[in-house]
Amino acid sequence: MAEPEARKRPERIASAPPGLLAAAWLIPGLGHLVLGKKLRAAVFAGVILASFVTGLLLQGELAVPRSGQPFSFLAFLACLGTGVPYIASRLLDLGLGDPMAAGFGYGNTFLVTAGLMNLLTVLDVSDIARGLKG
Amino acid sequence: MDHFVLLVWHALLVATFFAFLWRSDGPARRKLFLRTFLIMVGAALAIGWLMYPFP
Repeated sequence: MAEPEARKRPERIASAPPGLLAAAWLIPGLGHLVLGKKLRAAVFAGVILASFVTGLLLQGELAVPRSGQPFSFLAFLACLGTGVPYIASRLLDLGLGDPMAAGFGYGNTFLVTAGLMNLLTVLDVSDIARGLKG
Repeated sequence: MDHFVLLVWHALLVATFFAFLWRSDGPARRKLFLRTFLIMVGAALAIGWLMYPFP
């Protein structure tokens, strides 16, 4: 009696493949795309990249860690959460930030939000890959 | 740059994100999106209005 019920459940594994998690972090939406969640992948990629681009357009700063400023490490980790967009933008000297710009504070918020949202999608990919979520 | 437009844009993005992260079917997503979006915008307006008398 319990066997058909158990068969319905997706197979659970202890941990998600590290390569999948890395892909999910590096390119927003890629983790869900690999798992076949196309709609979620498109929405997550769109929302995260829209937030990231808005932050850059508002002249926000892609945070870097600074000694003596503990919060800058948290902001750095949050911004780094965006993955390739963060790395590419730093290499292209984008997102240097202009503290005198009217949108600086808002821009920072959008950039941090983009990174944190992408980190949450990595956790979601992990849950789906481990069979904890559909 | 309109602060309110940025507030609404941010709320739209975040509400969309969490609707798709936490819900799997369409109606539940729409409901969570609307609730999250309205709470974010409404709370921001309410707090802003309450802060208005203060310098």
